[in-house]
Amino acid sequence: MTVHTRYRYELALCIPTHPPIPASPTRRPDLRLLAAGCSDSNSSSHSNPPPPPPHHHHHRPTFSSSSSSSQPPSTPTSSEPLAMPEEDITKYLRQSHARVFEHNRAWVTEQTKKDPEFFVKLSAGQKPEYLWIGCSDSRIPAEQITGLQPGEAFIHRNIANLVNNIDLNVMSVIQYAVRHLEVKHIIVCGHYGCGGVKAAMTPQDLGILNPWLRNIRDVYRQHSEELDAIPDESARYNRLVELNVIEQCRNVIKSAAVQQSYSKNKYPIVHGWVFGLDDGLLKDLNIGFEDMLAEIQKIYNLEDS
Amino acid sequence: MTYPNDDEFLYALSSNQAWASYKSHQNPAFFKTLTNEHAPSILWIGCADSRVPETTILGLPPGAVFVHRNFANIISPTDINTAAVIEHAVVNLKVKHIILCGHSACDGARATLTDSRAGGVLETWLTSLRVVRAQLASQLATIRDDHTKEIMIAEKNVEVGVAVLMANSTVQEHIKSRGLEVHGCFFDISSGRIRDLGLGTRMSTRRAPSTNGTAETVRGKHAQLVFREGGVAGMEAR
Ligand SMILES: [Zn+2]
Ligand SMILES: [Zn+2]
Repeated sequence: MTVHTRYRYELALCIPTHPPIPASPTRRPDLRLLAAGCSDSNSSSHSNPPPPPPHHHHHRPTFSSSSSSSQPPSTPTSSEPLAMPEEDITKYLRQSHARVFEHNRAWVTEQTKKDPEFFVKLSAGQKPEYLWIGCSDSRIPAEQITGLQPGEAFIHRNIANLVNNIDLNVMSVIQYAVRHLEVKHIIVCGHYGCGGVKAAMTPQDLGILNPWLRNIRDVYRQHSEELDAIPDESARYNRLVELNVIEQCRNVIKSAAVQQSYSKNKYPIVHGWVFGLDDGLLKDLNIGFEDMLAEIQKIYNLEDS
Repeated sequence: MTYPNDDEFLYALSSNQAWASYKSHQNPAFFKTLTNEHAPSILWIGCADSRVPETTILGLPPGAVFVHRNFANIISPTDINTAAVIEHAVVNLKVKHIILCGHSACDGARATLTDSRAGGVLETWLTSLRVVRAQLASQLATIRDDHTKEIMIAEKNVEVGVAVLMANSTVQEHIKSRGLEVHGCFFDISSGRIRDLGLGTRMSTRRAPSTNGTAETVRGKHAQLVFREGGVAGMEAR
């Protein structure tokens, strides 16, 4: 059993809400709990977190929890996994779960403070402009990186942002978003350094993941000439990530819902984006939606004639 | 080319630019660290509904929550999309918790209340909810309010989904070997709060209900989470 020490670096971060955010020193004091919940095995430290640092502007590399906790040994700068005594595991897991509720409560308080009617309006119904199809990867929370508020984006996330034509899961999402919510934009968003894409190209039997990831191998096969010509491995993976996004956009466009809605309403528009983990920026691949649609319809036309 | 509602599209992209520079300003190492580490402790399975942005409502930073969201948070045993997510999250990322979260005012539950057909693939996808509705038929018949009916269907849907998760062989293996926990939760859109439905691992390991009223309490800064006998958990303000 190991415990990740990764939350320590997150200490230095503010929980992002809607950017652009003025770097206000007065908000989001709850980050302390994030650390307390994750690095301590002693629940008393949970209710008595150390005082907050004066502001959020700078990286705060250390966060001492050792004063209130004898174990596990707290070495904030270490990236080594910590060993944890058996009897603390249950307690640790419980705290980690409790953290979820604590943060949720803090978020509610903050939203209500900003707009007392926030949740009343929200419960009246949704009318999102976007459908986001992205990777399950924890580092790409769609709403936070795009600054979209609750109610603005309908979201589907799976391993490696795949849109498989016979996957009822993603196809139902697309159908509902297009026909019922009438979204204006569909964004397929991949990301560089995608573990799913990498796993797909590893010669290994991955059980139930095989059929899912095979779609990525198919993308590689379709573009093997271009990809094989890229000598640098990570550059090759990055290009595969882009080509995968483009191929999944194509799959979105193949759906009857998108074709029919577009010919009637001139929306939704399909976009292919890639998120860069190393700079946090979204890159628009400019897939050329209209041309792609025309090309697709030569074979996949599902409009009733 | 021109986009409909150009403003919104450009807004999302420019918002991202602002967010990226803000994060770098706060912590120049932010994206470097993000690139190198991927060790979320939570797998969240929730509804695609735009009003339930998991990482935001949990108040957690990027990197904390691995996410699958589908229409009406349905866990169907043979759905390969969800199965792949679970496999990767549990086996490769070794998440500590799986949280299946339903929510109030769910469009999927609403669509199930009537007999009108959604058509196409959606109709097939929603079959699971129709089964749930049939199971609850006698209780639903006594309720007049549609919102209450929707909540009842959505909660039962979480219960059924958790049962499927608990029957997943990979999940079972990891519950046994390393104490993976499975939870069923419910997000109330009208208040923004998440409730623990007391399902999953907590349910299966709980002791028989007793009358001494023992409860385990986990204290936080703003509230405490109380796990009562019978698998009931609740938030209490402090
Ligand atoms: Zn990925
Ligand atoms: Zn829903």
